[in-house]
Amino acid sequence: MTDSTESPDLSRRGGLTRLKEGTYGGLFAACAAITLLTTVAIFVTLLSDALVFFRSVPIAEFLTGINWSPNPAGGGQAFGIIPLLIGTLTVTITAAFISIPIGTLTAIYLSEYATPNARSILKPLLEILAGIPTVVYGYFALVYVTPALKATLFPEMSTFNALAASIMVGIMTIPMVSSISEDAMSAVPDELRQAGYGLGATKFEVSTGIVVPASISGIASSYILAVSRAIGETMIVVVAMGAQARMPEIQEALFGIPFVNPADVLLQSGMTITVAMVQITGGDLTGGTLPYNSMFALGLALFAVTLVMNVISDIIAQRYREEY
Amino acid sequence: MATDNANADGFGEVSRVRGIVFEYLSLGASVFGLVALGVLLVYVAIDAFDLANASPEWLLTYFLTLVVPFLAFCLYSADDAAVTRRALGALGGGLVAVAALFTAIEALVVPIPRLNWQLAYLFVVAAPVTAYLAYVGSGGRVGAVGFGLLGRLVGGVAVGLAAGTLFLVFDPLLWFLAYTLGVLPAVGLYALGRLRSSPRAQTATVPVGLVGLVAAAFLREVVATYPSDLLIYLWTIAIPVAAAGALLVGDRRGRTAAVAVGGAPLVVATAGGFLASSAGLPAPTVLLVLVLTGVPTAVYVSRVVDAGEGLAGLGLPFLLAGGVIAGALVVQTFGFPTPEPWLDGSFLTAAPSRTPTDAGLYPAIVGSVIIIALVAVLSFALGVGTSVFLEEYTPGTGPLGTLTRILQVNVANLAAVPSVVYGLLGLGLFANLLGLGIGTAVTAALTLSLLILPITIISAQEAIRSVPDDLRRGSDAMGATRWQTTKNVVLPEAMPGILTGTILALGRAIGETAPLIMIGAATTVFRAPDSLFSRFSAMPMQIYTWAGFPQADFRYGVVAAGVITLLIILVGMNGTAILLRNRAERGS
Repeated sequence: MTDSTESPDLSRRGGLTRLKEGTYGGLFAACAAITLLTTVAIFVTLLSDALVFFRSVPIAEFLTGINWSPNPAGGGQAFGIIPLLIGTLTVTITAAFISIPIGTLTAIYLSEYATPNARSILKPLLEILAGIPTVVYGYFALVYVTPALKATLFPEMSTFNALAASIMVGIMTIPMVSSISEDAMSAVPDELRQAGYGLGATKFEVSTGIVVPASISGIASSYILAVSRAIGETMIVVVAMGAQARMPEIQEALFGIPFVNPADVLLQSGMTITVAMVQITGGDLTGGTLPYNSMFALGLALFAVTLVMNVISDIIAQRYREEY
Repeated sequence: MATDNANADGFGEVSRVRGIVFEYLSLGASVFGLVALGVLLVYVAIDAFDLANASPEWLLTYFLTLVVPFLAFCLYSADDAAVTRRALGALGGGLVAVAALFTAIEALVVPIPRLNWQLAYLFVVAAPVTAYLAYVGSGGRVGAVGFGLLGRLVGGVAVGLAAGTLFLVFDPLLWFLAYTLGVLPAVGLYALGRLRSSPRAQTATVPVGLVGLVAAAFLREVVATYPSDLLIYLWTIAIPVAAAGALLVGDRRGRTAAVAVGGAPLVVATAGGFLASSAGLPAPTVLLVLVLTGVPTAVYVSRVVDAGEGLAGLGLPFLLAGGVIAGALVVQTFGFPTPEPWLDGSFLTAAPSRTPTDAGLYPAIVGSVIIIALVAVLSFALGVGTSVFLEEYTPGTGPLGTLTRILQVNVANLAAVPSVVYGLLGLGLFANLLGLGIGTAVTAALTLSLLILPITIISAQEAIRSVPDDLRRGSDAMGATRWQTTKNVVLPEAMPGILTGTILALGRAIGETAPLIMIGAATTVFRAPDSLFSRFSAMPMQIYTWAGFPQADFRYGVVAAGVITLLIILVGMNGTAILLRNRAERGS
């Protein structure tokens, strides 16, 4: 019956102290609640205006329309997301062609080859790439990269084009791939490497045949995060890619197989979802108009896509992680 | 057996070539992004400072008067024969190599636009060597003193200018009343409580301060006559700063030194403040800059003199200033053609204009400073509050544990939401629903605070988590309450880490453009904002606007100057954060 014996009240405190404790605890809880409220607010804000938009423009029309012109001069608005999706996909895929191979190789170098000294210098330097303001990247793409490409490789390139913007988006997302992948590779236990060497494998074989497969879940999740970042990227494409929502010209190759010439898409101006949103802000911002509401519908699409990608990346990193 | 035979053919054959190629390929990949960024930064610097038109004589003069003495200072501080040999070898060998390589490329492959071999040498060899030597030199006692002094001078000027800028928006009269009635009594009470070790006086600090603030807000409408702005700044900022400096020194060096350290900068600053208006400068800003530069410098010098080590380092600012003056004199006497940089004094103090040569960044800088100040306060308070709640106040299990996990996942997801979506949140919620106004500084500050909040929380959590548990248990064992443990043990230990994370997050906020566009920030304003609810522009916003102008002078001149200004501010902020972190790591 130890329960019934009265223990001395060690926590006896004055009312003032208790009040103080409660106040501070409540304050901190309120701060934490704000982060939850932010998520709720994003959902509600996007959804409420997007729902108003979908009352005028059916969702099916929005998702399948191949024409985007929210503020045409002569009337006849059209809200089809397909050309914007094509623009976003162009930038994302081209950027991934840069960030994924370079980021992966960087991660392998940092985790397997670099001396501790070199790593301690390279890692913070790489983070700089992600810290440069994106509007500066956009400016670089427009003013330096495009003229350089035009003078050397693609004379027919237009001033605003998807290629230069995508290159910059790719460079910006390199550290995202490299740092998360490198964390995953460093977490591979050394025994696995030693076992590989014991079997007579070279350093190259250990790196590519043991470390990379063992950390593949982390690497894959880093790819998804980098792609999701590229999808949401705004300023680089706004400054360097121009603002023409176009459907690429579909050509017919041999045997009538339709195909799209990549140069048509990459060397010309285009419009991504984010550019379309920025475009609309040039008009009325007090609300109530159809273009204003369409901005929120686009935002909702963007938010949903990036959220889903982040959740997938999280699941891959958690579920398929090799436990050592 | 068949398989054995098949294997035997290739057994023991190890391709070294493949491994070596792969290693260098991955090394190349690691530096690819950095090299690309480096080249672009070199070009933007050349454009901003008009270095393409700098004559070789001009470059050589400043190289000899400014860079060479600085390198000599670093070498003297490092005091290492190996470093000296390496640096001189790199400088000399680099000169030959760059000149030869550059000429060969120009002659055989393609002419390189807007770059000559002297500039290439400067950027490819001299700049890295200087950075390396500055790093090595700062390890020596003399170098540490020199850079410490330089940092206080530059930091003081920056903080003083920022404080002066803030008073363009915040009412100095209200601040005067709030300081006199709220801040001063509260601080006095707190000090009294510490001195007499009476917890009751300390508990009363917060209520007394709050009452004072409310009284100030009330009296602001009632009182009609106020002292002049200069006197307000003298009373509310200059005197407290000087007193704090004097207290810091007085503890160790007695009354005379304290009076000298506090009083001398105060006198200089007051004199400067009164003389400034006749020179056409804003008097309050001059006063603030002088006192915020002077007092920390005086404290630092007094400490160095006290320690008696590395006194030669105190000469570094004079060395650099002398180099600039000597260089200017030489250039003037011999009439060397000088470049006309886009980034100069008038660019930083003028309003935007349609003519490239008149265009300036001043209103945008003011807008950025005001927003960042608000964001800093908001995101720091919210970030620390949330991370303390998540780390110290919630258990890992039970229903509250589930809530903690939900909050954690939520923060991680918020960190990955595209910034343009935050812009929509700001537009829909703050600007339109709450009626804070489209494109006002408040809307922008709230939006950007929410944007960087997840980053602040995550880094603050890491800092709090790295506080050893023994310290908490020790505090608990002495009967401290949870808040007392948090306040006295956890937060002081974690503060450098929290500050580092917050400053890095602020660096992200200062460069964000997309949310500002979405909330309707002005593309160009011609006057600095004068209230929190006036239309404003910010540095990245102005860069975005200018980048859209078709004239070459804008594209290659004005925008480059804006980009360099933004990057310098970013480097300054991140450098401060890294210094803080390094100092904390060395301390612990």
